[in-house]
Amino acid sequence: MAARSRLGATGDALAVEMSSLAQFVRSFTVALTAASRRGTHAGTGVVWHPDGLIVTNAHVATRDNYTVTLATGDTLDGEVIARDKEADLAALSIPVRGLRQAPAGDAASLRPGSLVLALGHPFGVANALALGVVHHIVRDGAGDPRWIAADVQLAPGNSGGPLVDATGRLVGVNAMIVSGLGAAIPLEVVTKFLRTTVGRSAWSPEVWAA
Amino acid sequence: MPAAASPSVLESLSNDLTGAVERVGASVVAIHARRRIPSSGVVWKNGIIVTASHTLQRDDDISVTLPNGDKVDASIGGRDPSTDLAILKFAAKVTAANVDAGDSLRVGQLVLALGRPGPSVTAALGIVSALGGEWRTWHGGRIDRFVRLDLAIYDGFSGGPLVDGSGRVLGINTSALSRSAALTIPASTVSRVADQLIATGHVRRGYIGVAAQPVQLPDELVRSLSLSQELGLLVIGVDTGGPAQKAGLLLGDVLITFDGQPVSDPAELLAAMSADRVGADVDVGVIRAARREKVRVTIGERQSERRETRRGRK
Repeated sequence: MAARSRLGATGDALAVEMSSLAQFVRSFTVALTAASRRGTHAGTGVVWHPDGLIVTNAHVATRDNYTVTLATGDTLDGEVIARDKEADLAALSIPVRGLRQAPAGDAASLRPGSLVLALGHPFGVANALALGVVHHIVRDGAGDPRWIAADVQLAPGNSGGPLVDATGRLVGVNAMIVSGLGAAIPLEVVTKFLRTTVGRSAWSPEVWAA
Repeated sequence: MPAAASPSVLESLSNDLTGAVERVGASVVAIHARRRIPSSGVVWKNGIIVTASHTLQRDDDISVTLPNGDKVDASIGGRDPSTDLAILKFAAKVTAANVDAGDSLRVGQLVLALGRPGPSVTAALGIVSALGGEWRTWHGGRIDRFVRLDLAIYDGFSGGPLVDGSGRVLGINTSALSRSAALTIPASTVSRVADQLIATGHVRRGYIGVAAQPVQLPDELVRSLSLSQELGLLVIGVDTGGPAQKAGLLLGDVLITFDGQPVSDPAELLAAMSADRVGADVDVGVIRAARREKVRVTIGERQSERRETRRGRK
């Protein structure tokens, strides 16, 4: 039997919750790889729809084809079907159905101090989890979130991976590091990108009733 | 689904953190007193903002952005570069922060560093990584407790509050008192210094008017004079008309004792000249021409702080 944790009840519950949350987020996170002359090019992606729609960053998906590794370990051929360099977003299609998709959160409800988690494959380390809080939200002229600046430690390879809230709901796609802060593209911006490029309204993330 | 389990500890922790940011954020202002990015400050009491002195890079033409977005003029009410604290006075109604009156800091405690390096409040999460007793800064300022953070420093860190999960302000953060770590000036020190600055506009400090640097004492000298220390303070400057000059201290003297205590570090000398020692006559032991001498010096009061050097700190 494992040694009893010395943390109090809250600490125990926190530890259990964190690990189940990590496992949950892992279930809708994929790895993208492509062999090149300079070795393996890798990034992270999020399962957006059960029928094989994957979202990542445009700077990750610079080629047309990638090997997509699912949480189950299965590998599939993925094809880039949309790319917007300015928004730094790309969509891939993989020939599969019934994937566990990311539940939709609400980036607009985030406030400075909101707990967030990032999952990705920084420097090729699979499924690295980072915990932090929202530092601030960059908004556009209309007051809608444009960037989520988070106090989470990201590294190259986190790009394209999910940023989730304390309940595991997707709030953004990690895109870059600015002055040490993780910068994620809010869910709403990703949805807009998919609507204008992929164009299938059915391919929006599941709205998750709690 | 696994993440939907409720009640969720992470969710309630997240709510506690955003609640704390919201409550304390109502007392955090942006200070426009340097080029580029504004610095942060905390409304400590009615009409009084506390900030990190090093972030105020000018003395005039200062304005602050209040939590409600209004921009108002502010004036420096006093600076204490020795503790890196300064106060600003302003005329507007802003709620004062809920300052921790006791000593609730614990190693491992979850803390938030808030800032307002622009219109909106920012937050970073970390823990208190080390606590220690009273210490002296590079400039001789007395800080009640050593508080080291494990927390990332972003723009707006200095002058912003360290906040606990229930929205109490534990101190003021600064990046200027350590080269390597994020430190917090505990609330008790902030209140003490702020009260002095409000009352007199400056913090009273002793002064004898010497510049000194540590030097290794030659072994023969340590033996022949039966000294208990290997280092002394070489006098490399004597202020004209200062207490040291009046007492007859000379350039080239090596200070070894001050008021009966061995001194081998400038910080020890500064520590021996706290506010309550102003006016006191003390014996200063020196080595002059390879002989021990004793000089009686009257500790004076430092008149004005020199302006801090402008460093690119956050």
